[in-house]
Amino acid sequence: MRQIVLGDQAAFGELYLRYKSRMYYYFYRMLGNSADLANDFLQELFMKLIEKPESYNPAYSFQTWLYSVANNQCKNEYRRREVRKEYQSAEALEHKLDYLNDSQVEPEQLVEKVFQTLDQLGEEHRSAFLLRYREGFSIREIAEILELPEGTVKSRLFNAKKILAEKLNYLKDEVEF
Amino acid sequence: MKKNQDQLFAQLLCNDRIGEPDNAIEDRLMYSFLLKNSSSKVKQNSFASFFNWLFSAQSLGLKTGLVSLVLFFSVINNQLNIDAGTITTTDTLFSKRVFVADSTSFIQTLDSIRTDSLN
Repeated sequence: MRQIVLGDQAAFGELYLRYKSRMYYYFYRMLGNSADLANDFLQELFMKLIEKPESYNPAYSFQTWLYSVANNQCKNEYRRREVRKEYQSAEALEHKLDYLNDSQVEPEQLVEKVFQTLDQLGEEHRSAFLLRYREGFSIREIAEILELPEGTVKSRLFNAKKILAEKLNYLKDEVEF
Repeated sequence: MKKNQDQLFAQLLCNDRIGEPDNAIEDRLMYSFLLKNSSSKVKQNSFASFFNWLFSAQSLGLKTGLVSLVLFFSVINNQLNIDAGTITTTDTLFSKRVFVADSTSFIQTLDSIRTDSLN
C-alpha cells in the first residue's frame, strides 16, 4: 500500500491480481449472483483504493480493511434497494426451503440453493457465512469487517448453519466433493 | 458432527466457481491509476503547498530559526564585503577614494631608541 501511495503502478497491478477473484466472488454472491453488478462493484472498490489510498490504516490487516470497504459498498446497495424492496413473506421462504429437498442435486445446484436460502435469511447472515466458509476468516476478523460484536457474528453463523444443515443433512450423502 | 458440518460448508463454497471478472476492469483501473498519478505529480511541482505552509501558523519555531539564519548570514556577508576606502554616496554617484596609508598617523608602539639599546 505504501508503494501504491507513492504511485507504483506495478504494486497496484499486483494487488489487483491478488484480490480480484476473491472480491468478485464476494460481490457476486452478496449482490444476488449478478455478474454485471459484481464487475461494477469490483471496479468501484479498486477506484476507491486509487483515489484515497491514504484511507487505509496500516495498523489493520489489509484484507480485513478491503473486505470491510466491500461490505460497506454492499450495505449501501441494500439501502438503495430497500426503497423499492418487495418483502417476501414467510410462506415464500418456506417454499424456497422446500425446494432444497429435491433429490439428485449436483454440487453447483446445491451451492445455488444454499445461496437462495441465505438470500432469504438476509445479507447479514450471507456476509458472515461467506467470510467464514469461503474466505476462512476468524470470528474476530469477521466481527471487525462487519463492525459487529463477536457474539452477534457467532449467532448469525449459528442461525445460518442451523437452517442450512437441516437441508444439507438430507442432501450431503448424494453429493460427492 | 459440528466439525463435519463446518468442513462441508467450507468445501462447498471453496469448490464454487463463478468465473472471472471482466478483463476490461483491469485496463480501466490501470488507466485511472496513471491519470491519478500524473495529476498528483503536477501538484507536486506547484508551489501552492509550499506557500500555504509558509504563510500558515505551522512550524513557527522552524520558520523563525530560518529567518534568523538568513539575517545573520546577510549581515555577516555585508560586513565581509565592505571595501576599505570605498564610500558609496546616496545620490547615485559613485566616488571611490583610496586612502593611502599615512606614515605620520601610524602609532609606533616601540621606541626605536630603546629598541636599539636592547640590541
